[in-house]
Amino acid sequence: MDTPIYEIRSLNHSYAGKIVLSIEHLTVQPASIVGLVGPNGSGKSSLLRLLGLIERPTQGKILFNGRLVEPFSDEARFQVTLLPQEPFLMKRNVLNNVSYGLKLRGNGMDVGQRAKEALSLVGLPFKDFVRRPWSALSGGEAQRVALAARLALKPKVLLLDEPTASVDAASAQLIKEASLRARQELGTTLIIASHDWQWLYEICDAILHLFKGRIFGTGRETIIFGPWQKLGTEKWGKILSDGQRLLVPAPPNQEAAAVIDVWFVSEDGSTIAGEDIVLGGTVSRLSLERKTGQLFAAILVGDLSFTVELTSQQGKEHTLFPGKTIFIRYRLDQIKWI
Amino acid sequence: MNFLLEGFFQAFDLLLSGNAETYSAIWATVTVSSYSIGSSLLIGIPLGFCLGYFDFRGKKPLRTIVDTMMALPTVFIGLLVYAFLTHRGPLGNFALLFTLPGIAIGQTILALPIVIGLSATAVESLDPKLRITIMSMGANRRQLFISSLWEARHGILAGAIAAYGRVMTEVGISMMVGGNIKWHTRTITTAIALETNKGQFGMGVALGLVLLAIAFAVNVSVSFLRRRD
Repeated sequence: MDTPIYEIRSLNHSYAGKIVLSIEHLTVQPASIVGLVGPNGSGKSSLLRLLGLIERPTQGKILFNGRLVEPFSDEARFQVTLLPQEPFLMKRNVLNNVSYGLKLRGNGMDVGQRAKEALSLVGLPFKDFVRRPWSALSGGEAQRVALAARLALKPKVLLLDEPTASVDAASAQLIKEASLRARQELGTTLIIASHDWQWLYEICDAILHLFKGRIFGTGRETIIFGPWQKLGTEKWGKILSDGQRLLVPAPPNQEAAAVIDVWFVSEDGSTIAGEDIVLGGTVSRLSLERKTGQLFAAILVGDLSFTVELTSQQGKEHTLFPGKTIFIRYRLDQIKWI
Repeated sequence: MNFLLEGFFQAFDLLLSGNAETYSAIWATVTVSSYSIGSSLLIGIPLGFCLGYFDFRGKKPLRTIVDTMMALPTVFIGLLVYAFLTHRGPLGNFALLFTLPGIAIGQTILALPIVIGLSATAVESLDPKLRITIMSMGANRRQLFISSLWEARHGILAGAIAAYGRVMTEVGISMMVGGNIKWHTRTITTAIALETNKGQFGMGVALGLVLLAIAFAVNVSVSFLRRRD
């Protein structure tokens, strides 16, 4: 097995004394695509800033190609680049923004040619954009120029923080395609934080689910947030908007989040085991995990969304489509609290 | 009011005829203000950058002190510098009293808080995403400093112009430290004060026009630099 391009050991990172990220051990393989999912404030951006060597971890080590690195490390600063969520360009024209990183390297490369190739990768015609000032670009164009500035560097690692969150659909598509071409043509390792789960499951080799600064699972788990209410004498749960009751064991506190593994039952709810709790819902989305060929369905139950893994047999037997009503089940003793 | 109008015409006569006394004062002003603005930018921009960029204990009180010093009265600076440069003062051996370098020291003290304060404000108002962008492109510490400074250039330039305006137009320091010595340390402003006392409005107006012309030239140059972006 190759030396991991990244290895994190006993990392704790905090802002103003509050721990925002806590990772015991994590490795990322070269030329892989890793997705980061999780709610806002879960630590995705903090993790990307640490991997991008923008910040130094409060505790712990980050190894890049087996060597300990920190901000400004010569071992990594020319090989890793981060594209932040909101497009930001320096007060220069497009060419000077795209060629900025190349000039920092200062090794006599053909800056103009590299900038032209990079702009073409993100779908911006060189002639039309090269002299355009930073202030004359739309949000989507600015984000594409920012990505072109990173791609021009031909990086070993490209870190993308919500790259398509604040752009229009056409720009989002171009950004997605350009990122993947970097991996295909240059073997660039991609680490992407995004709420676009469908895209991540299509392209990623691994997905990490972050919650409250910790990594758990693969992102397929369903997390239901508090507050919880007492339903009867011993039962806890929520009454959903469609009137169904989501039951849970007694939570450790009112605001705890429940991790629930749910399974597909049937289209009519007829095969129900004794201890299982069954909920009826509607298929809202279907996605295919590229690496495993596994099918996943997002099921809307009331106003909550559950993710269900489908076996190939189930995939063949049931013709699922968005809008179809199905039943899912879970067990109280398998719910975990975080 | 006729004497004002006469003074105005006399001003052109003095300037166009190359009056030696007038040009001596202009030369003294340009020389001394160049020294003082040059040294205050050299010292003030890095200090202002550090004050605006880094968070450290005591930053807020330091900022308050710098902001207060931006309003230092010129006669007070003149008094302090005089006290230091006089023969009995700690720097008396350098024989800088009643010299142009002596005035330049006082004017540097006048301009420095303005350059530091306005540079710090310019750097503080930089978008926090700039640092992430520069670092993510692979910059080292020196490149991060230079690029951040470049992004703050308009604010820093505004600070430099404000400081230059203050230095060019001050009277107190030039009068007290320079002594208003004809052909030697007489600057435009001290000359205007003297000529007005003597009732010689023509030379006063002529020198005032030169001050305006210099200020105009500086602002036109800065506007040209801004347009180049």
